[in-house]
Amino acid sequence: MTQSFEEDCADLIGTEEKKGMSRRDLLKFAASIGIPMALVPGMTRKALAADGQEVVLCNWGGVALEVFEKAFAEPYAAQGGKMVIDGSGPGTGKILNMVMANNVTWDIVDSGIVGLTQLGPQGALEEIDYSIVDKSKVIPEFAYDYGVVNYMFSSVLAWDSEKVEGTPTLADFFDVEKYPGRRLLRKDAQAMLELTLLADGVAIEDLYPLDVERALAKLATIKDDLLFWGSGSESQSLLREGECVMGMIWNTRANVLGKETDGRIKYTFEGGLLQPGLWAVPKGNPAGKQTAMEAIASMQAPEGQVMVLEAMGNGPANPAASDLVPEELAASNPASAENVAVQARISADWYAEYYADAMQEYLDFITS
Amino acid sequence: MATTGTSAAHAQKSPGRLSVNSIMGSEGRYWLLIAPAVLLMLGFYFYPLARVLWMSFTFPSPGLGNYEDLIDNASVHRTLITTARIGVITTGLTLLFAYLISYVLVHAKPKVERIMFLGVLIPLWISALVRGFSWFILLRREGTINDVLISTGIIDTPLDLIWNELGVVIGMVHYMLPLGVLPIYANMRNIDTRCVAAARGLGASRGVAFRKVFLPLSMPGVIGAGILVFIYSLGFYVTPALLGGGKTLMIAEYIQLQIMDLVNWGRGAMLATTLLVTILLLLGVMSRIIDLRGLFGGK
Repeated sequence: MTQSFEEDCADLIGTEEKKGMSRRDLLKFAASIGIPMALVPGMTRKALAADGQEVVLCNWGGVALEVFEKAFAEPYAAQGGKMVIDGSGPGTGKILNMVMANNVTWDIVDSGIVGLTQLGPQGALEEIDYSIVDKSKVIPEFAYDYGVVNYMFSSVLAWDSEKVEGTPTLADFFDVEKYPGRRLLRKDAQAMLELTLLADGVAIEDLYPLDVERALAKLATIKDDLLFWGSGSESQSLLREGECVMGMIWNTRANVLGKETDGRIKYTFEGGLLQPGLWAVPKGNPAGKQTAMEAIASMQAPEGQVMVLEAMGNGPANPAASDLVPEELAASNPASAENVAVQARISADWYAEYYADAMQEYLDFITS
Repeated sequence: MATTGTSAAHAQKSPGRLSVNSIMGSEGRYWLLIAPAVLLMLGFYFYPLARVLWMSFTFPSPGLGNYEDLIDNASVHRTLITTARIGVITTGLTLLFAYLISYVLVHAKPKVERIMFLGVLIPLWISALVRGFSWFILLRREGTINDVLISTGIIDTPLDLIWNELGVVIGMVHYMLPLGVLPIYANMRNIDTRCVAAARGLGASRGVAFRKVFLPLSMPGVIGAGILVFIYSLGFYVTPALLGGGKTLMIAEYIQLQIMDLVNWGRGAMLATTLLVTILLLLGVMSRIIDLRGLFGGK
């Protein structure tokens, strides 16, 4: 039940009323009983998209559906394009399935480092065309061959200020004598290994390649005090209900926790890990590569990205957006210059090479 | 079967007419009636299922490579052992409680029985997710049970009732109870209570009458319930994921991780195949011991 950050954005605020079976439910249902995608009503979009050059952008639904509509689809329409937001959730396995079955229905997907590094090498993604997508409108290191940053988020240290006095450091996370109580980690190696190594004294610039054995050995020192969260909402409830005194969680959840507990749960970007959400284009997308790239370029406008920050807490990918960010949001913006300066940044190269093995080792560690 | 006889006789009476019976044999019309359902199942269930399972032999490279994990992969071993252990413990506890509940049910007054039965059935209609969260409220460190135990002075430090195998087993036994009660109860209903009375009349003590008469008569229900609960336990997903605190990884969640997160379809499909074959084997063995058709309402 590990949930990706992108997926969590959908249910962060989103408890929107559902009438009957949504298309997402239908697709899930179809997938669960193995109906080929082409048989599901609505899936004829492939033809539509090709004719009218309509771009289908797939994200994780929920509140993100409305937000993306306003932030991305409407400005794109104003430029004469047509964009449809599909909230059915572009899981890595699902994208690979579509590409392998030669039945791709999405033009752009809201993916992440794991999607990029698992799908790119398998030839399931189109290369990003940087003659159309503007590299100067993103932090350059998050512009990859097979994906380009669409927003940013962080994995941060959060704590219960009633049980942890002052501002703990990452090293305090591993000091159960100084701060007794249970700690919360994600049931996924991503970012957890990095934060552990930083706590163990590795300098930010020496972080990669990650020393997985060292990280696991460090984690083993507090193993009995560890709990693991699978979904963003789980991380939120475990800290809120006092089951854990500290946790390494997503900044979006930490921010919401701070608000709903009147500041009892605090967090810091200090020693956090900055991670990009990515636009990727599945190989053989219906509207054609060119159209998809143009749509991605249009979404680089800072205004839409600031809307996403306001509604969901995801940091704008375009550094120019920081001038537009309202003052009260600047502190919680993971991508603001001040916050970026104190964080480590994820390395996609390392993930491409080692993630699958590291994840398996991490899983073996927590379940043994 | 009497019906077969009559239809055969009917076909003989009118040899010239081309009836369904003459084309498809005497049982043909029954097949015809269920044909839509069978075709639907073949097309939309068995075919996709077979394709997924087949992947365990073809992905990433053809051969039995994925099945080597069964022999030499420690993490696969651990998952299988965890799954089997939790399955056995859950089944054992469920049978014990289900037996007690069923015994009380069949011996209760009809009115009381009806109310108690509702208590057994209502949890069946509540989703595993909701139940998982309810257990979270009860079992956590600052939860109801620990609060009561601490405030009454029975314990000083909160008990770890959740985020471990104990929590998973509590949640699963609770989920499985109705599935255990129903077959046992149905079986106990049909036991002729006069047998027990006769044993008592012939001088057996209460214990002996139960052990030598009632218990053996109720065994078919117990075995049936055991199979049902064990098979369900093997494939359980939501409860372990919610109550295990991430540390208890059972096969269903492991398969999901392999397929969705690690894109290791071959291993995922291999484990799914292993699970399915294990369950079919279990059913095969059990069908030699007891009457499965009766158990699942086929008679």
